[in-house]
Amino acid sequence: MYKFPEGLYTDVRIEDVFQTSIQITMGRLDDVKEKSYRAAFIRLYDGKRWFYASTSDVDGIQGEIDALASMASKNENIEKDPIFKRLEVNEGEFLKFIGKDSVKEISLNEKIGLLKEYYPIIAHSEHVKLWRANYIDLNVKKSFYSSKGSNIVFDTQRVGMRIGFELSDGEKKFADRFDRGSNYFASLKGLEKEIETRFNKAVLFLKEAVDVKPGKYTVVLSPEAAGVFAHESFGHKSESDFMIGDESMKEEWKIGKKVGSEILSIVDDGNIMGTGYTPFDDEGTRAKETYLIKNGILAGRLHSAKTAAALKEELTGNARALNFEYEPIVRMTTTYIKGGDKSFEELISEIDEGVLIETLKHGSGMSTFTLAPSMAYMIRNGKVAEPVKISVVSGNVFETLNEIDGLTKDVKILEFALGGCGKFEQFPLPVGFGGPYVRVKSLNVR
Amino acid sequence: MIKEKYVEKTSQLAVNIENNRVESVRRKDITKTAIRVYSENKLGVAGGLGKIDEEELTERAVKALDFNIQYPVEPTSDLEMNIVYHADFNDENEFVNEIEELLVEISKEQPDFIFSNKATLTTTENSIKNNLGLNLFHSGTSLNIGLIFKRKGSGNIFDGMVGYSGLKYDRKEFLKLTNEICEAFKNSIEEFNPGRYPVVFLQSDSIYLMKLYRDLHGLIFATGGSLLSGKIGQKLFDESFTLYQTRNHADGFYGSFFDLEGTVTPEFRYPLIENGILRSPYTNKKTAKLFNLPHTGAAGGEYDSVPDVVAYPFSLKESDKTLEELLEGRKGIFVLVASGGDFTPDGNFATPVQLPFLFDGKKFIGRLPELNISSNLFDMFGKDFIGVGKDNLTSLGPSRAVIMEMEVSKI
Repeated sequence: MYKFPEGLYTDVRIEDVFQTSIQITMGRLDDVKEKSYRAAFIRLYDGKRWFYASTSDVDGIQGEIDALASMASKNENIEKDPIFKRLEVNEGEFLKFIGKDSVKEISLNEKIGLLKEYYPIIAHSEHVKLWRANYIDLNVKKSFYSSKGSNIVFDTQRVGMRIGFELSDGEKKFADRFDRGSNYFASLKGLEKEIETRFNKAVLFLKEAVDVKPGKYTVVLSPEAAGVFAHESFGHKSESDFMIGDESMKEEWKIGKKVGSEILSIVDDGNIMGTGYTPFDDEGTRAKETYLIKNGILAGRLHSAKTAAALKEELTGNARALNFEYEPIVRMTTTYIKGGDKSFEELISEIDEGVLIETLKHGSGMSTFTLAPSMAYMIRNGKVAEPVKISVVSGNVFETLNEIDGLTKDVKILEFALGGCGKFEQFPLPVGFGGPYVRVKSLNVR
Repeated sequence: MIKEKYVEKTSQLAVNIENNRVESVRRKDITKTAIRVYSENKLGVAGGLGKIDEEELTERAVKALDFNIQYPVEPTSDLEMNIVYHADFNDENEFVNEIEELLVEISKEQPDFIFSNKATLTTTENSIKNNLGLNLFHSGTSLNIGLIFKRKGSGNIFDGMVGYSGLKYDRKEFLKLTNEICEAFKNSIEEFNPGRYPVVFLQSDSIYLMKLYRDLHGLIFATGGSLLSGKIGQKLFDESFTLYQTRNHADGFYGSFFDLEGTVTPEFRYPLIENGILRSPYTNKKTAKLFNLPHTGAAGGEYDSVPDVVAYPFSLKESDKTLEELLEGRKGIFVLVASGGDFTPDGNFATPVQLPFLFDGKKFIGRLPELNISSNLFDMFGKDFIGVGKDNLTSLGPSRAVIMEMEVSKI
């Protein structure tokens, strides 16, 4: 094991990575890649500053530790440091994706075959001008050792598949995709019906969608749109690193403050299976369920050891790094809106004129959040009506949280098949997101 | 059999800034190597991190030919070039010390704000060699200072950003830029009448170019999924609108001067739209050959991927006027932060502008309320295109701005 320097905190994260990517365009195999590598990230803390190094030379880790230590100042009282004290110590092996559950055990031919099974569903349509099918998988075994005594081995795994297609009908153009992410290869099988349904919806949208009349509407967000909304508009604001150093923010974001409608609860939980599954974070902290909003009241926020110490709160297991090249920062895992008490039919039956956001291209969240819909529909007299083309839906985050007035019972947790969440330089981090259908009284639609 | 070796080496010192002080320092030194073999119109690729065994990698690349990935193009041959450049800093300690001192000064001059994020000093080395006489080498060190700021007491995650990428460093100039933005931020202008305004974007902002990035993709264009499909040679935009695909330093690009297939274009640019006339989508060799399109040198992807069509940054040809001259005495709306907007499939564009400044062509006057802006692709770069200023916003690095008329309203 490593010789950790005295008077400093040190941890080492070694990543054993296996990954596959396959791309087929219009029936031609464009790229097939299967690779494995081992690399590490080292952190060292002297009570004042952190020092980091990333290396693909795992035999040289001790040298990296020593080099970082030479930049730091020995601190006899490091054990009294509030960050040091917060860091969890865990031990053991927690491997979930082994044997037949590991993507390493599935042949490349089987992975290519999966895409080949699906693409005929869309390839022969007269409206498809270009299609591309992608498969990825990523199995990461992390070994984490710290000078405080942590010694854990755990793993995460994602698989994802996308069939993207460019549609054309004369001058009308529309691009859409079928995405599916999961932890297990087996979950990507048997999706023919779902792909066909999505494809047919896209063709109908291509042919029939009309420009929306810009204005304010009651908007119903699908689980996909609601999940992205929860992630972008509130999840990022719950990442505590944004609060450090600003006393007035601590007052503004006081736990117990009313921030949303009383039917609204938002949770982040790294224990939930899916691409946000994070049994331990990259500081060796166990995953925890954290209510960000409970019944409209600010209930918690996401932490690394550093932010938990600064705000005198408990760890939540949200210090995550994109890969061995980066330090852990506060990130979400699986973030979702809890369900309510309505059926979908009940939810829309009360709307005279509104908009249903079914699928999304992307979303963003500052004080004003945005959702860029892919497929959206008018709601008229309580029924889903004609498809509409929308550039962007936007609203003020806090006004919107208070304007949520209906939730369906069923909650759907979704995954980004290929992409993920971006924060500063670290993109794309696998996360999960979701929720029920969510009704918002008024949003700006353009 | 043709063998090609591609190497990417990144050495980076990243200074992480939190709450106006240096919170951490990160060193990164990573080498990625790929071997490609071309045989009978097929390509095999294998890659590895760190120290690699070239023989073993070559064997794997040969084995990868069994995947039967068709790649019916001629590898680049008989071309040798070597470009090396440096930023103002060579010494890492000097860089960390300077950032610490800069932060002390910024904190003194702007006590109402909290600054965070990163400053990096990055050296990227790229080389590509093959047994047809291709031998290209690029090594460049550039610096990036990207500070996000938040006014104390603001409920936002962050309120705005200030920064640049370049080769030069000048503390006074960076302070001047920071002060100008922060002072304008403090000057809140509440009154705003909806209407048509000249809207000013930093040329490097991608939001107003999103549709062109998508619709000029060689594959989408060639297969009919683009609004611009089939329109090569047609005048679609204003006479003064010229759009390049660029790998030129003058446009703020600090990566390799060649693409993943070893293609080098004249002046490291390629005009995709010239004087309003569509010349070409962006393409790699394979797409250009398959669809009989011009080859623009837009091959990219991961170091160990089969080269694919990727979007390199776009730049716009500057006019012979300054921003002030282009505005002709009008006040413009400078888009400092606009996030989340998009185009419809028909090319209609709308986005909220989270941080708009009133701008007179020379300086930021004050912070406007959050706005909505909207237009259409063909109007933005057609009848409503005003031009690209010949002046940079700061002397620290390439920072030209583009102006177009748009509909603007309060959120």
